Amino acid sequence: MTSTPTDLPELSDDEALAAEYVLGTLDLAERSAAEARLRLDHNFADLVNDWQNRLADLNEDYPEVVAPNLLPQIEARLFPQAAKSRGWFAWAAGLATAALIAVAVFELSPPSLPTTTMTAELTAEASPLRYEAAIAGDQLTLTRTAGAQAEAGKDYELWIIEGDNPPVSLGVLTEASVTIPAPQAAEGFVLAITLEPAGGGPDGKPTGPIVAAGPLKKI
Amino acid sequence: MDDPIAELLSKIAAQDRAAFRAIYSSASSKLMGVLLRILGNRAEAEDALQEVFTRVWLRASRYDADKGRGMTWLIALARNHAIDRLRARRETQADGDDAINAVIDTAPRAETRLIAVGEAKRINQCFETLETEKAAALRGAYLAGLSYIDLAARFDVPLNTMRTWLRRSLLKLKECMEQ
Repeated sequence: MTSTPTDLPELSDDEALAAEYVLGTLDLAERSAAEARLRLDHNFADLVNDWQNRLADLNEDYPEVVAPNLLPQIEARLFPQAAKSRGWFAWAAGLATAALIAVAVFELSPPSLPTTTMTAELTAEASPLRYEAAIAGDQLTLTRTAGAQAEAGKDYELWIIEGDNPPVSLGVLTEASVTIPAPQAAEGFVLAITLEPAGGGPDGKPTGPIVAAGPLKKI
Repeated sequence: MDDPIAELLSKIAAQDRAAFRAIYSSASSKLMGVLLRILGNRAEAEDALQEVFTRVWLRASRYDADKGRGMTWLIALARNHAIDRLRARRETQADGDDAINAVIDTAPRAETRLIAVGEAKRINQCFETLETEKAAALRGAYLAGLSYIDLAARFDVPLNTMRTWLRRSLLKLKECMEQ
């Protein structure tokens, strides 16, 4: 290894990505990719966790700023049955039988992770590509399960199509797996991937061939 | 280990709504400080605070007390949400002025404050081993959510230079803290 310069040691790529994710310097696409990886790759999640702890002492520098009481809005979002017009206190006092039943049901239901509500399999004839999409809560995750990334100088771009309406771009796919904010969608909307010039269709419209597509289906 | 936030999080993971109200009382001021610093806008920070606490309820079961303090986890949740918002906003507006000005406000305040225990002193001592500019860039990135693009503009260096600077600084910081 005599020819390797050793004067400037570097962080490994994964560790650098973890540190930059925690530091917050990545752009949106890089952050989304890192977040998708966090969920799938425990080693990477541990690296992120280590950097979170390492830099945590900087949190001292954030001042405390008294926040208004936003609990009523937050609880109304999270617990719609109990919130209604009576509010928390009526619920807590057990005055509303209906609310108590709602709580009983709530406590029996499985915990917290948003459940997948819709999925799609994206394929095309004469194309080796295959993607799987899942919408859970407010996120859409798209994972390439077969085929390769786009050739150099090209990008895959993801679109959602409602009926006969023009496709709406959901962005360029720079990674084999991405998680993005879920679009407004219903069963039967089509997800499609086209091959576009690098950076995506120039006018926000697809210009290249469809390399994979499939309809969203409710689970 | 004495970590009241961690205890509340484990209760919230078991759907304890009283614990959820208690964590809002204990942590909302700190998280509001984080969101306001990064987003620079009160209305948006309040909106983000609602989203962050919604996620606290939904994700509390993912918190692992063996991996870090409860408040560290909460602040990471808030920072990540605020930075995602900032990036999404920036990419639609292509406007980095706020953030560039914000770096001016990232003077190392913690160093001049009374620091209760050893940990914080340690990271600050390690920051002192970095060149002033690089330490300022790191702090600006962490505290105000500056991107490489913002930092490169602020320090007037090419983006890749900034990336190299920060990666080396992070490595030095890690080595210093492991000593």
